[in-house]
Amino acid sequence: MTDGLVLDGVSAAYRDTAVLHEVDLSVSRGELLVVLGPSGAGKSTVLRVVAGLEPVTAGRVRIADRDVTDERPGRRNVSMVFQSYALFPHLTVVENIAFGLEVRDTPRRLARERARAAAETVGCAGLLDRRPGQLSGGERQRVALARALVREPDVFLLDEPLSNLDLALRAEMRAELRALHDRIGATMVHVTHDQTEALVLADRIAVLRDGRVEQVGTPDEIWRAPASTFVARFVGSPAMNLLPADGPLRPRDDAPTLGEEPLEIGFRPEAVALDATEGTPATVDRVEVIGEDAFAYLSLAAGHQVVARVPAARRPERGAAVRLDVRWADAHLFHAATGRRYQP
Amino acid sequence: MSASGEAPPARARARAARSPDRRSRRHLALMLTPYLVGLVGLVLVPALVTLGLSVTHYDLLRPPTWAGLDNFAALLEDPIFRVALLNSVVFALVAVPLRVLLALGLALLLHRRARGVGTARTAALLPTAVPEIAYGLLWLWLFNPLYGPINQLLRAGGEHGLTALGRTPPQWLTDPTSARAGIILMSLFTMGETFVVLLAARRALPRDVYEMAAIEDATGWDVFRRITLPLMAPVLALLAVRDAVASLHFTFVPAFVVTDGGPPPYATTYLSLFVYQTGFEYLRYGYAAAATLVMMLLTVAAVLVQWRLIRRYRRFFQV
Repeated sequence: MTDGLVLDGVSAAYRDTAVLHEVDLSVSRGELLVVLGPSGAGKSTVLRVVAGLEPVTAGRVRIADRDVTDERPGRRNVSMVFQSYALFPHLTVVENIAFGLEVRDTPRRLARERARAAAETVGCAGLLDRRPGQLSGGERQRVALARALVREPDVFLLDEPLSNLDLALRAEMRAELRALHDRIGATMVHVTHDQTEALVLADRIAVLRDGRVEQVGTPDEIWRAPASTFVARFVGSPAMNLLPADGPLRPRDDAPTLGEEPLEIGFRPEAVALDATEGTPATVDRVEVIGEDAFAYLSLAAGHQVVARVPAARRPERGAAVRLDVRWADAHLFHAATGRRYQP
Repeated sequence: MSASGEAPPARARARAARSPDRRSRRHLALMLTPYLVGLVGLVLVPALVTLGLSVTHYDLLRPPTWAGLDNFAALLEDPIFRVALLNSVVFALVAVPLRVLLALGLALLLHRRARGVGTARTAALLPTAVPEIAYGLLWLWLFNPLYGPINQLLRAGGEHGLTALGRTPPQWLTDPTSARAGIILMSLFTMGETFVVLLAARRALPRDVYEMAAIEDATGWDVFRRITLPLMAPVLALLAVRDAVASLHFTFVPAFVVTDGGPPPYATTYLSLFVYQTGFEYLRYGYAAAATLVMMLLTVAAVLVQWRLIRRYRRFFQV
């Protein structure tokens, strides 16, 4: 497969502070890569470096097998959807969409025609004569998408495009975005801090932490084999439980061979069984009920905390004494010192 | 009766609901008073006095006598007034766009952070802060045809007191056209306020819109024409209206201090100077009042014309 986008040891700095540290990423042509990370991890900087809005201090950027590191933004053939959408407030929707074509000297009529077609694709064809000020958040988002689509760029860059939408609309646009990607088969880099969005949308996810790539993998890999405690706890809500491997909880079934060094054992809230007859004793601190699910916050011996997801109908009472149980198959092991995944 | 028992609380409620409204109205009136007193005392009353004087003959010594529309009829016939009117209109038509353009150019040049930008901004602003009379006297020196720095600069590289192109340098204060140009030149450097407003307006424009344009490979000209200019149009229009109104006033000090209305034939006699000389030097108060009224009407007309223009380009205002 040819490469849509390659970052090769890219570092970037804002003033004197390093924001990206030798980031290596490659996105295949037609792939949707989601860059996931907490705020301040450098996610947006990755996009800005690809777009050429931010210079690199080291490394190369290649788009469609072309080294664009020293090219200006307009020569990189990328489209970007900004978090704020960056629509031109004084232009109508159709003028906004056609802007990129018109400044590239496409004849006006042709530009308008293609703008109309792009608007059709994202479902905002009815808004062509309105101005951004007259649009709702979701409508602006569609216009911004149409503007990115109208030219056929090598890479689409989406900077948290869904973060300004309310929850229902976000879920809807998420699905539409995925469908759109499948339909046009474009190379996309989508930045978000929302792990659900990442898991739903991505072909692959790159988890970013403090300007370094923590793990790159399919949503399944990120979920089932997190490369570090950071990835393990960042993806999943509530976060994965982490306990010392020699602590109060001993998982059931056959244990893997454990080395000498100190390890941490991680397991997701849904891996915890509470109705075990034998297991680790714990007390229920509090219980949160969210519809069908309940999250029980448990105290173990020596002050360790564990969250368990249980069906709301069978949730324990606050203060109740329970016994919890986890299977080795559901457990993850990490080096206590580095936080990296432990391979037995 | 139960009704009488309920009445007082109901009244109290009504009073409670009304009183904050009445109190805030009192506050409003109190805060408006100083402004209203100033407006009445310094603008409305003098305007009415002017209106009254304009239909009289009055020389400060004898009591005013009724003149009807004589003063206005005389104005129409007065060649000096016609020259002053033309001078003022030409000045406004040339100087106002130039001032706004210069301020816009400087604002667009200096809105980014870079080495020396702070100093350059201060330099652009400084002439505006010089007291008007001092500013006038300074230009009197700058314009001096023999030892003034401007002509010395123009003569650089030339021989026999001519410019490098072999032409005579402008005789700033003695040649009518050069004198008019000189007054306009003087007015260009006092656009500091306009510059500051435009600088702030440019810096308030969203950065991502410009980044978007960079990604779309828009040229500098495209960015200016399609983004910066339309987004700044409301501020530019406002400044142009303000400058047009003010242009009738800021011709006064230069013409008074630097050229004294000359060189002949009345090359830099503007309406403001005409009114001043007619009133305070020739003591023809009625006649000066009539000219003032014409000046006022001219201001109103200028504002109306620009208002219409702005309305036509209203879409820029619905940003």
